Amino acid sequence: MQMDLESLKTKFYQLVAPSLPNEWDVEAALEPLLDYEAEYLDGIFSQVPAIWPVSHSLCFAYLNAAGPALSCLAVEELSLWVHSLLDRYETGGLREARLFMADVEQQYACRLRGEGGVRLLDVRSRLQPYVNGLAGKEMPLVAADEVGTDSESIFLPNTIGVLQTHEHNFFLYKLIVSFQWASLSSGMYTAPQWLEVTRKSAHPLDRFFSGFSEPEKARSLYHIFETARVLNFLRHELPGLMREAGVILPLLPLTGDDSSQLNLLDWLQRGLLRDQWPVSSSSPLLARAVALMQRYQEEEMDNLVSLEAVRELMPLVPATEVFTGTSPLLFQGIMRLQEMRNLGVKEQTDKELRLMMTMKAQLPPKVNKTTQPHLEPGNTAGQEAADTALVIDTDSAWEQLPPFLHSLAQRIDNSESQPSEQAADQESSGKSGVVEQASSASGVGKSGQLFSRLSRGPADAKTEEKTVEPAVYDEWDYRRKGFRKNWCVVTEKELAPVHNTFIEQTLKKYRGQIRRLRYQFELLQTSERFIRRQRDGDDIDFDALVESLADVRAGHPPSDRLFIRLARDQRDIAASFLVDMSNSTAGWVGQSIKEALVLICEAMEVLNDRYAIYGFSGMRRLRCEIFPIKRLEERYSQTVRQRISAIGPREYTRMAPAIRHVSSLFAKVEAKVRLLIVLSDGKPEDYDDYKGEYAIEDTRHALLEAKAMGIHPFCITIDRQAHEYMAHMYGEVNYIFIDKINQLPSRMSEIYRTLTS
Amino acid sequence: MNLDAYQIDTEPFYLSTGQEIAIAEAAYHDGTPLLLKGPTGCGKTRFMQYLAWRLRRPLVTVSCHDDLSTSDLVGRYLIRSGEAVWTDGPLTMAVRAGAICYLDEIVEARKDTTVVIHPLADDRRQLPIEKRGELLTAPPEFMLAISYNPGYQSVLKDLKTSTRQRFVALSFDYPEPDKEVEIVCREGGLAPEMAKSLVKLAVMTRGLKDSGLVEGASTRLLILAGQLIGRGIEVKTACRAAISEALTDDRELLAALDEMVSSLF
Repeated sequence: MQMDLESLKTKFYQLVAPSLPNEWDVEAALEPLLDYEAEYLDGIFSQVPAIWPVSHSLCFAYLNAAGPALSCLAVEELSLWVHSLLDRYETGGLREARLFMADVEQQYACRLRGEGGVRLLDVRSRLQPYVNGLAGKEMPLVAADEVGTDSESIFLPNTIGVLQTHEHNFFLYKLIVSFQWASLSSGMYTAPQWLEVTRKSAHPLDRFFSGFSEPEKARSLYHIFETARVLNFLRHELPGLMREAGVILPLLPLTGDDSSQLNLLDWLQRGLLRDQWPVSSSSPLLARAVALMQRYQEEEMDNLVSLEAVRELMPLVPATEVFTGTSPLLFQGIMRLQEMRNLGVKEQTDKELRLMMTMKAQLPPKVNKTTQPHLEPGNTAGQEAADTALVIDTDSAWEQLPPFLHSLAQRIDNSESQPSEQAADQESSGKSGVVEQASSASGVGKSGQLFSRLSRGPADAKTEEKTVEPAVYDEWDYRRKGFRKNWCVVTEKELAPVHNTFIEQTLKKYRGQIRRLRYQFELLQTSERFIRRQRDGDDIDFDALVESLADVRAGHPPSDRLFIRLARDQRDIAASFLVDMSNSTAGWVGQSIKEALVLICEAMEVLNDRYAIYGFSGMRRLRCEIFPIKRLEERYSQTVRQRISAIGPREYTRMAPAIRHVSSLFAKVEAKVRLLIVLSDGKPEDYDDYKGEYAIEDTRHALLEAKAMGIHPFCITIDRQAHEYMAHMYGEVNYIFIDKINQLPSRMSEIYRTLTS
Repeated sequence: MNLDAYQIDTEPFYLSTGQEIAIAEAAYHDGTPLLLKGPTGCGKTRFMQYLAWRLRRPLVTVSCHDDLSTSDLVGRYLIRSGEAVWTDGPLTMAVRAGAICYLDEIVEARKDTTVVIHPLADDRRQLPIEKRGELLTAPPEFMLAISYNPGYQSVLKDLKTSTRQRFVALSFDYPEPDKEVEIVCREGGLAPEMAKSLVKLAVMTRGLKDSGLVEGASTRLLILAGQLIGRGIEVKTACRAAISEALTDDRELLAALDEMVSSLF
């Protein structure tokens, strides 16, 4: 049975309610679906609720692609496919997602059918640590159209399906990675000394190739000779790998396989992979090339030999021989000389900047001569001498200094009176750019600015502490049974302390209770106790001893439990209180929560438990806000009290991101017991579609995640009556609901006490 | 006090990698305690055995744990046939006999326990035994040595400054590859070629620190693998058992380690 457009539209609008997308868009997206059977349509539509909230455009694109996709996929496989699609969208955006959908056959269906192709995505987790181990540093594996390396990353194809079996294709990935590492490690890209290295020009090897009439040919020749050398290097370094390669490499297809006329490069490739060398009499050029290449099998050599081979062979290669038709070997890829050069230049600049900072750090502290009139003239001279000595100190690095540093160094050298900041700025105002600004700053002794430009550096850590970056968290979508990646942005915000009488009044109101609580909490604190009648211990238990002696006299078997042991129970507990600051807490609820916080803080002061208090609220996923009221290591000070006074109703209750944020902070804390206590007044809810089942499931999942991190969550809900969803959301025994608001302050301390004893 | 059982009679194999022997001997003659630091299985304990052998002193080793109390170190009263008898702890025993007392992984011990070595570790060289009202002064032959691994312990388990500033510190690390090959050859009873590959594997695993491996393969693990190979276990199986599985439980890292092994052998 087929459906008409109108009923499709109605169905679609039901699925995406409450949003009301433009009718034109909806019609355009649904029209191609008209031809499909109802069961297919149901399958396609069942995925809409999972995709629509992530991206509307993606959803429309999906509706367009889903029909054709069903020609490769079974309806049951659609949800898996959508799962991958959403993952792809979240890592690579709409473009990636479209590519993914367009190529359903290649990207997805093959894998479902279990064909031999291997995806980088699936092997990366295995090969990334492998290459890190080989290189001794992090070398990211990056998907690219052409294999190669720029000396920092290794580029690999997205999929490899050249060979029949999964194992063989995986091995090819491993071989590429090993080969690219080996090419760096064996010095394929090292410029020999006679090739002069200059700043900001082409790679020295590139300049070597351009010395020939046909640079590309020279490049290809060099590359194939070097490949032979690197394979030999690998034979020594990773014999196991090469043993396997001996079986698999001959299976690799070559460009020369299809043509009857083999050129020099084809022959060399064939020789390398399959050990099929041309007959020596075929041509003198070929014979010589083969002889040169076979030298590598004898001993380890450096790339000079390859350069010489290129030099010797290039004049012999006839102009009629064209290499362009011969593609490089799969693992060989291309030589990314220019990228390497660019990286080198960048590194050099970074190094120079760092050198400059080091130089700055070596400067004696700024001497302000007007404020130190007691300095003898002789001393000042000594100071200058020290300045001069500094320049001599860096003399060895003088050639490496960029020109602007020369002038800077000279300025320091003869700085009888150091230039003021403005003067220094004026001095370099003629030039432009960050470097000049930084140099002037360093001239007057301001540090830190420059380091922010560098990717690494000790000052980075310092600057990080001051500004708290917003944190990004995933959100659980129960319909998709997966995460919406990087969905919520949590920002920590300062709560301005408020001066009022709230604290005093609370302390007065609950005076008696506080005293009782303190006493109860003190009892919790017992950290050392003697255990009597132990088999061994620190001291003799005399009661037990007397008893056992009496037993001996009486002819009974004596006990051997005669010692006292001092047991130290370390109360190693850390607790985080997460307080709902949503709009619904206005009035008595908020007041009680605040009072409860004051009470628990007062009581906690007699314990050594570390505790933190955070408030949360916000609106929509991009503005989830966390208000630190007391951080874990912070003391319960006047400021903390004033922050408690400042707690007030704000916006919505998107609970899960707050839980995720506090758990992630908490996960780094070391304690035997980590307790997360959530105080809230009802269901999680936000302004957007974050409500109902979705919100409950997300919150539940966030709590489960916290549990997985070794944090015990416990929720206190203030509500008129218990709701069914609570047990599901919080877990049977992990929550308590309080219906009489005025009980909260005393109950909360009680709850804490029972939880931790 | 007879500590014959603690005496080391045959020379333990130890390959010096720097000035550590000279420094330790100088410290011994000056009565200065030693602090050895370095990753696990890099030869700290072996070094102590070697030193004890060179100095011809008994070596009393205490492996510290978080329940180690002062009495465990100093001694306690025991009841024997109705009498309370004092029994020396290992530390007291070593002080009396002028032996070398080596507290392995000292940071694992409780902080109040570590404090007991303070008077022993400075120029007083005294050990108060409170329960007996005795104050022992260490003879010149006595030496105190402690070790810890700065790599994996948490901040909470750092060594107190007041403790660490009483020691001459020797830093240990995995030996240079050729020295390590020599050690693995000798201890694991392997051919140099095989030992070389094992060391290569170890160097690779040590490069995995940022990829989630807390520590790379130690020299000790290489020796263990070597011994398995010497007993006729196939190389890859031996590496898996003695190195990969010992290093991690993470499936992906295990797979990566397997790739390394299959590339090397």
